[in-house]
Amino acid sequence: MNYIATIGGREIKVTVEEVGVARYLVTSDGKEHLVDAHQVQDSVWSVLYGMGSFEVDVQGRDEEYEVLIDGDCYKFSLMNEQRRALIRAGGKGAAGKALVTSPMPGKVVRLLVAEGEEVQSDQGVIVVEAMKMENELKSAITGKVKEIFVKEGEVVESGAKLLLVE
Amino acid sequence: MFRKILIANRGEIAVRVERACREMGIRTVAVYSEVDRHALHVRYADEAYLIGPPPAGESYLVIDKVIDVAKRSSAEAIHPGYGFLAENPVFAERCEKEGIKLIGPSAHAMRTMGSKTLARKTVRAAGVPVVPGTVEPIVTEEEVFRVAGDIGFPIMLKAIAGGGGKGMRLVRGEEDLRSSLRMAKSEAKSAFSDDSVYIEKYIENPRHVEIQILGDRHGNYVHLGERECSIQRRHQKVLEESPSVVITPQVRAAMGKVAIDAGRAADYEGVGTVEFLVDKDVNFYFLEMNTRLQVEHPVTEMVTGVDIVKEQIRIAAGERLSLRQEDVKQSGHAIECRVYAEDPDQNFMPCPGLITSLRTPGGPGVRDDSGVFEGFEIPIYYDPIISKLVVWGKDRQEAVVRMKRALGEYIVTGVKTTIPFHIRVMNNQHFLEGTFDTNFIDKVFSQEEKERELPHFHVAVIAAAIQLFVDERKQAVARRPVEAGEPASLWKYASRPGLPKFR
Repeated sequence: MNYIATIGGREIKVTVEEVGVARYLVTSDGKEHLVDAHQVQDSVWSVLYGMGSFEVDVQGRDEEYEVLIDGDCYKFSLMNEQRRALIRAGGKGAAGKALVTSPMPGKVVRLLVAEGEEVQSDQGVIVVEAMKMENELKSAITGKVKEIFVKEGEVVESGAKLLLVE
Repeated sequence: MFRKILIANRGEIAVRVERACREMGIRTVAVYSEVDRHALHVRYADEAYLIGPPPAGESYLVIDKVIDVAKRSSAEAIHPGYGFLAENPVFAERCEKEGIKLIGPSAHAMRTMGSKTLARKTVRAAGVPVVPGTVEPIVTEEEVFRVAGDIGFPIMLKAIAGGGGKGMRLVRGEEDLRSSLRMAKSEAKSAFSDDSVYIEKYIENPRHVEIQILGDRHGNYVHLGERECSIQRRHQKVLEESPSVVITPQVRAAMGKVAIDAGRAADYEGVGTVEFLVDKDVNFYFLEMNTRLQVEHPVTEMVTGVDIVKEQIRIAAGERLSLRQEDVKQSGHAIECRVYAEDPDQNFMPCPGLITSLRTPGGPGVRDDSGVFEGFEIPIYYDPIISKLVVWGKDRQEAVVRMKRALGEYIVTGVKTTIPFHIRVMNNQHFLEGTFDTNFIDKVFSQEEKERELPHFHVAVIAAAIQLFVDERKQAVARRPVEAGEPASLWKYASRPGLPKFR
């Protein structure tokens, strides 16, 4: 299977082929590696590769990956090549809309905007409190507040839809 | 000695106190809010009582509820831990009135040390060095100029009623003094409706070093040396060590004596911590006294071998200190990392939630004071501390590499933690050399981290690609249409001859 990893604008082609039980032939940036990878504990993989043994915590959501190795966090996007081609062909899709979601479980303290209000990208739109700390969440795009899904005082789960900017 | 103690706290510190009690043969009484029924401090206790809804203001902070449980369970003493009711003189007075021993200083000592100006006045009278400046408000402009000239620039103008940085102005030279004074006064007036200000010398790039003291009611005091607490993020300690690389035996003895003088000046009974600012020439100045057990007490325990919590309980029971100053010996080096449920790669955003898996470090010289377990859900209502990881080594170098090794073994999934942050600190050249002050994390370290190249990018991409490959295959199998007569079970599917097998 072919994948494209993107980091800081640079694209790296990655292919994965299963060649045995938990053994994979992976090419990355043109180099071929035989990798022995076991998912050992929840999101944590034990990876034997080259001369090294690594513990790798892989967190992926909607093609955005955060990978922890030895205390360092690697952030990049990773997408199936076919899927990317489909999305490119299909046009913008969901672009132009930005859903603000809660990054953690908490309580909605304040709404800083009302439905129909114009907002700038990076403008604070809602305040969510968790563990005695208030966190202002921002709109990713410039646009109009289309819908607000929560009320002040409401307790929300991690990933809960808060509001939609269009 | 007490037969039963109530612990008016939760999380790792409640567990820490319960451990001491259990080893001393004292029964423990836990209190808990509705969200903490599964918490370790409830399960480790001999008795446990529900005291209300999750918000601390309706449970752990309600004096009446805590006192009521103490009476119902016939606990003879209350250990407040740190935070919550630990430095609340109203609570201390209430315990005195009810005839329940609070394991901590008197309400009077708490009040004296709780007020910045009163604490400064009290310790200065006892000969303790404080940051040069005035204790009384300064009235006239001429006086401001005279005092500023006497103590020398840079200086800080501070509102008497101040707090939270309001009414504070740093003045680097005489030319800025008049306008800064005007602004400090007007800020103080609008924030606290009191425009009186005082002057303090500004200590540039200070270190934060504190001394642990113990005092019994018979007038005996000892100090257990220092803790270096300069590694702070936004004025919050995140990592502590003992000893400090800048403190010589002579300075340690001098600071220890001064810390005891400060405690004695307040008739202090119990365990307490005297905090100092230390300048680049290792002059030290009294900052404040914390009238409780500190979060970072384990580093002192590791280098002195003294169990501070047990000592605290014995003092509260009226016993004499079990050691004299000459019995106190520091050996080796200890470091503590505070592990919080916060995301270091997203501006330390709190990450409460379910701990889906946990692997705690072990091996030589490692201590993990934890309040959680696999399957525990970190509530949104309290401090997001998961544990304090503490190591001991024969010297600082061994302690640092041991901490790095232990942090590498520590795996928490389900929530983000500050473990990666601590690994990065352990790798930082300035930290290794011991050259840092209280601004280090916010100014120097964060900048250096931005510029650092990460060594294992390829491993990260390969692992993620394999994860995505496996995920896609699972989805493909799940989506496979079930035709009439075809077995729906994957087990059967996998056993059918001729079909591709994955294993």
